Amino acid sequence: MIELKDLSKRYISKNKYGKKLRVDALKQLSLTLVSDTSYALVGESGSGKSTLARILACVERPTSGEIWFDGKNVAAMRSKALRLKRKEFQMVLQNAQSSLDPRLRIYDSIAEPIRCLTQTSRSDERKMILEIAEKVQLPEALLERFPHELSGGQQKRACIARAMSVSPKFIVFDESVTGLDVTLRKQILDLILQLNRDGRLSMFLFITHNIDVALYMADNIFVMKDGSVIEQLENAASYGDFRHDYSRMLIESLPPRSPLHR
Amino acid sequence: MNKALLKNKQILIGLALILFVSTIAVFAPLIAPNDPNKIDALNKFLSAKGEYPLGTDQLGRCVFSRLIFGARYSLGIAVPTLLALGTMGLAFGTAAAYIGGRLERVFLIVCDIFMAFPPLIIVLSLVGALGQGLEIILAAVIFSMWVWYAKVIRTYAGIERAKDYILASKIAGCSGLRIVSRHIIPNILPQCIVIVSTGIAALILMVSSFSFLGLGFEAGTPEWGAMLNQARSSFYSHPRLVIYPGLCILLTSAGFNLFGEALRDVISPEEASE
Repeated sequence: MIELKDLSKRYISKNKYGKKLRVDALKQLSLTLVSDTSYALVGESGSGKSTLARILACVERPTSGEIWFDGKNVAAMRSKALRLKRKEFQMVLQNAQSSLDPRLRIYDSIAEPIRCLTQTSRSDERKMILEIAEKVQLPEALLERFPHELSGGQQKRACIARAMSVSPKFIVFDESVTGLDVTLRKQILDLILQLNRDGRLSMFLFITHNIDVALYMADNIFVMKDGSVIEQLENAASYGDFRHDYSRMLIESLPPRSPLHR
Repeated sequence: MNKALLKNKQILIGLALILFVSTIAVFAPLIAPNDPNKIDALNKFLSAKGEYPLGTDQLGRCVFSRLIFGARYSLGIAVPTLLALGTMGLAFGTAAAYIGGRLERVFLIVCDIFMAFPPLIIVLSLVGALGQGLEIILAAVIFSMWVWYAKVIRTYAGIERAKDYILASKIAGCSGLRIVSRHIIPNILPQCIVIVSTGIAALILMVSSFSFLGLGFEAGTPEWGAMLNQARSSFYSHPRLVIYPGLCILLTSAGFNLFGEALRDVISPEEASE
């Protein structure tokens, strides 16, 4: 179970005159994510959803607030303890190609969390990686290739395999299908759902700007605007379940299904 | 990429020159016909013939043998110094770029302070304070030059550090040391090799110019710059004594420069236009 309490994040930048500009990316945000449940988060660009993802994955620390992960406040942990804690939560970044080291073979990229976070012998590690590669439908022959030799979909699968290699309790997918073409997008989404049904990926948060995708991926949906969660739905099944004005507006700005609805 | 390297004529010429000079330096005692330090007062300023292929200098020493042993000094100083500079540059540059924040700013200020002093001034003051000696010249060169390498490498490392795969490996649980050694350094190594190989030529010139000024080597050492300096007094009567060591310096540094610059064209073409 993950509980976020009064989470705030403020970025300070400078304008061209050197004057400080404060940007509140998250404002006093509180959320509870229950184990073994899948969640989706929708919001426009700039609503703070990526910041929330980075804070949930603990690559950034909140300005204030607490993140309780199974009874421990991760936000206050020391860096070293936090690093080992990453075994339990992982994140899949938006851009698959750039999130793989161009000079590492896919196998080594997938093996990295296992090597850094667990004490596993090389032979067990190989077994684990082959198994996870099969799960994400990545042929074994591709594992010895370099990232640029893979297609976009294969790179994405490799990234998902890497995040799952240490069997984390929780995975954040940050805009993970943005920029993929529609058929590929469907494949990746179905893969994540399949892994979820198999019990390999019991708890995840899928962050997207696309309300269709959010509905497809999870029953529990958060809608975010200007750094706060403005609507929280359980068992959402259709557009009709969204009540908040802003959510209605997001739905209304979707392109029509056919020219008849124009 | 290896094919591209072998197709490039400039690289081949540079490589041939480097190999030529290195072979001479390694096998100097076998190639040299005479002892480079043997003084033969009766045979001063001999012109080229039999026993002395390039004649003798103002003390009757064999010029050819001295030039051949000189290769040992030039390469023997430039290569280790450059390795030290490269290692220091990599260590400090990547650390500063990875840690970032305030420490990186302090590092840049320190770099700027060091870069404000011309290397010659630092070498002169160090030699003045600590006395002559090869080690002192080496220390002075490293001391005055390391920031130039560290700062360039920091820029490269900073570019890599901002990339997604570094964030991804942090999420994967890599420690800072592992990120620097397994991810940042392998990815900037090609650029670093280019900086280092173009730097060798400058360093050979630098060491030669110091010994020309009489810094670093004992009198009589067959170093090319020192030979140039000693031949200066007889420049009008025997110009060949100046020309030979000058040509040696030129060929060696040309070899490294040609190689380094061609390597840069192949590895990072976007910089070639600068």
